[in-house]
Amino acid sequence: MTDTLDLVPARTFIVERPRIRLELQPGDRVIAAVGDEVHVGDVLAERIRDARLVEVVTPRDGADQGIPLPGTWLPGEHARPGRHPGAPAGELLFEHRGRRRLATGPHPDRLLAPGDGRILEVEPGVALVLEVQGPGLAATELLGEPHSGRLVVLPEDSDPRLALDVALAGAVVVLPGRVDAEALARARAMGIHGAIVGSLAERDRRDLVAAAARQQAGLHRLAPFGVLVVGGYLRRAFPAAVQSVLEAAAGSLVGLVGDPPLLLLPEDLALPVPLPDRVVVRGGPETGLEGRWLGLGGLRRVRSGITAETGLVWLDDGRTVAIPIGELERFAVHAANG
Amino acid sequence: MSRGAPGAVESPVDAVSPSATGGHARPSRARPARSPRAVVAPADDRQAAFYTLDHGSATLAGALVGQVDGRWRLLAATALPTGSNPEALIALLARRLESVDPSRAEMVGGWPASGPPVSADVPRLVARSRPAATLAVIAATDRTRTRLEEAAAEAGWNVVAGSAERTDPLELTRLATRPGVVAMLVGVADPPGADERELATELSVAAAGIAARRPGLRVLLAGPVPDEPLLALRHAPAIERLPAPPSAPGELAASPLRDALAAARGGPADSRRALAAAAGSLARVLGLRVEILEIGVSGAARVLASPGPADDGGTRASVRLVEVPDAGLFRMDRAGAIDRIDHWFTQGVDRARLRDRLSELAIAPWSDLDGDGALLRAAALRGALERLLSSTDAELGSAGVDLLVGAGGAWSAVPGPAATHIVADVVRRPGTVQVAIDHARLLGPIGTIEDDAERDAVLADLAPDLLLPVGTIVTPRGLRPNRPAGQLVLETAGGRSEIDLVAGGLTLVDLPPGARGTAELAFRGTPELGTRGRHFRVAVSGGLAGLLLDLRDIPLRLPERPDRRRELLGTWERALWPERDS
Repeated sequence: MTDTLDLVPARTFIVERPRIRLELQPGDRVIAAVGDEVHVGDVLAERIRDARLVEVVTPRDGADQGIPLPGTWLPGEHARPGRHPGAPAGELLFEHRGRRRLATGPHPDRLLAPGDGRILEVEPGVALVLEVQGPGLAATELLGEPHSGRLVVLPEDSDPRLALDVALAGAVVVLPGRVDAEALARARAMGIHGAIVGSLAERDRRDLVAAAARQQAGLHRLAPFGVLVVGGYLRRAFPAAVQSVLEAAAGSLVGLVGDPPLLLLPEDLALPVPLPDRVVVRGGPETGLEGRWLGLGGLRRVRSGITAETGLVWLDDGRTVAIPIGELERFAVHAANG
Repeated sequence: MSRGAPGAVESPVDAVSPSATGGHARPSRARPARSPRAVVAPADDRQAAFYTLDHGSATLAGALVGQVDGRWRLLAATALPTGSNPEALIALLARRLESVDPSRAEMVGGWPASGPPVSADVPRLVARSRPAATLAVIAATDRTRTRLEEAAAEAGWNVVAGSAERTDPLELTRLATRPGVVAMLVGVADPPGADERELATELSVAAAGIAARRPGLRVLLAGPVPDEPLLALRHAPAIERLPAPPSAPGELAASPLRDALAAARGGPADSRRALAAAAGSLARVLGLRVEILEIGVSGAARVLASPGPADDGGTRASVRLVEVPDAGLFRMDRAGAIDRIDHWFTQGVDRARLRDRLSELAIAPWSDLDGDGALLRAAALRGALERLLSSTDAELGSAGVDLLVGAGGAWSAVPGPAATHIVADVVRRPGTVQVAIDHARLLGPIGTIEDDAERDAVLADLAPDLLLPVGTIVTPRGLRPNRPAGQLVLETAGGRSEIDLVAGGLTLVDLPPGARGTAELAFRGTPELGTRGRHFRVAVSGGLAGLLLDLRDIPLRLPERPDRRRELLGTWERALWPERDS
């Protein structure tokens, strides 16, 4: 018989050995190969900046070793010296009527492995798929770029304007309190590699994305920086289960990735597991409270006159209340390989 | 807002009845044989029953349908957030039936009254709404790109598009390989224009270059695009040939390309496509012109179905479906979308906060059900309806229908009377229309029954149960505002009532679900109500909101000042949704 707890939507909490995709652009030069074991910080690809399209004449038979496939990186010397001296190195887009279209440009940036793992797939100019050895804590979005660093959890009541300084350079910081675009810009300026926030308002997200775009366009870029949003847009504290994982991982080397959005955790980390009947209220008057699922509360009419299935929850503050199931969520202990 | 109260009315025979606009010749009402093969009768002595499951982007809806006295009836239904376990939902339905009618539960499900429900061997009809996937459209010319883009968008795809004429190969490659793109549509007109002939081959080679990077990317070719470069790849993609794009813009109404793209996106169990089949059945069975306005979180669809005489003497239905992904409930990517939601929202909130709340609802559509969260949903629903109608009016027109059905999860989040008000606010058409809600979300699953006759048979029985009548709206056009407009005389089986009408507002008349009557409208002017005239006699049927006489302007004019607009909207909303302030 199916347990009524299964009526409560389960939110993916921990993903074991996740498969992550790291985005590439046409013209990026992939260094890692399928099957390679990589460690956090290893260079996986050289990233192109300001890729441009060039058209070159296809060399005569024999100049290439076989017919290159689209996506192949063609070195500059693929054209014989003297015959096509201007032919640059680049990635082949396609070849048509004796002419090749290449994506080319300088490669000043590096794509670094955000965690230990194994390369599963390489799609040239599209993505690189990495199977990570350790588990990942699920989030909703990564703004910015994947990165890694030592995890530092700031206290709940800390003011990011004071707490974020150069001593945290290279770290990934957890900002549990109120966070805005200014605090994140400061974190980036201090050399911090990334931030983890419970929620971020749309306005701050736009500011952050615009700042990242300006960096992208700039001649002298700052280091990559990522902001991992665990929740949504309205200010909420981290759920207790998430907070306990973050605290357990404090001091460890972690990674931030966006596809899927995850905080990559050390393989040997002992993860605190929430009780299976633990539920979190994510809407209504009891928003943010947590408690234990007691069972179905039946169909009830809520304040707005809408009828909804409810569940009885024994909240941590000692009250037992009937809450619409749609406003509850629970954490799936370990989701399938993502 | 004024409110009238007719005398008692007798119980209805049919919950859904033709709400005549008068004078339309109707085909005879079809009553098909009642032997649905899709729902297999059990081998033992149990009565036939089936479950339905509609997997939406935000909502998992389930229902238990069984035969009672030889007719299909809705026995239990509920909805939960997506992510809930469907088996747990099925068990909940079984338990609910058992708790209210143990003997029926035993007859239908075969489980003992005291034991656990055994639901595994009860058949299921399942529909799934596919989240709008992204299609990269690559065309030879910008002209063809526009047509392909229109067809793909109307088939329910999110579209990114470029043309060889305007976009360089590097940008085309980026476009087709960006995250989220699941398929690539490459197309040229048929016959290709002079400027397309040369580009077609290069386009095909460029597409092969993209496909080589993305093994597994679906490739759809429309028109005479050479496929040799694609087939020459080491891991050649599966190529689907589609009809060529129409030769001129505006020819998309019956576009085979759009239909093919819709099929390529959804498959037979896609709930939006299934809605079209269900709408056709409703039109045949009820003999009414039916319009379904489906609004979900991942997209929206509008279906029009009209009955007509078939060659064999029976009834056929012509059905047209248009999907509009960016009319999804909380979608804000179209310019001005958030302004329109703000326009309808009766609570004052700053724009940034409004955007955050809508974005939060897009992540967790079921959260914040009560208080002003419900009002925000209602405003978002109005905004989505506006987008749906504005995107489809050119294709489907804006003529009146007899029965308008609200389908999809968005309608579940507002009480029935409030749904009537939402329709009245946004669907501004002169005439009389009955409004109903597919409250148990049965239309999608039933629409997956492939055989028309079987589907018609099930719907013929189930229509009174699955369509929750929320009211009849009478909307005359051309009244002079804030003046006495005339008189309504409503005659029902239980009595007669006379109500004076004042233009510029809403008049609500109690008419319970199932009640039927005749409304005689005597106007001082000559407004349009289907046709122009002073005296109209229309058949009306009841609903949760009753009979709503909408004497406001067409189109609806509201005060420019936000506070006055909110106050006025709030007054109307309060009358039809008294619990909003509780």
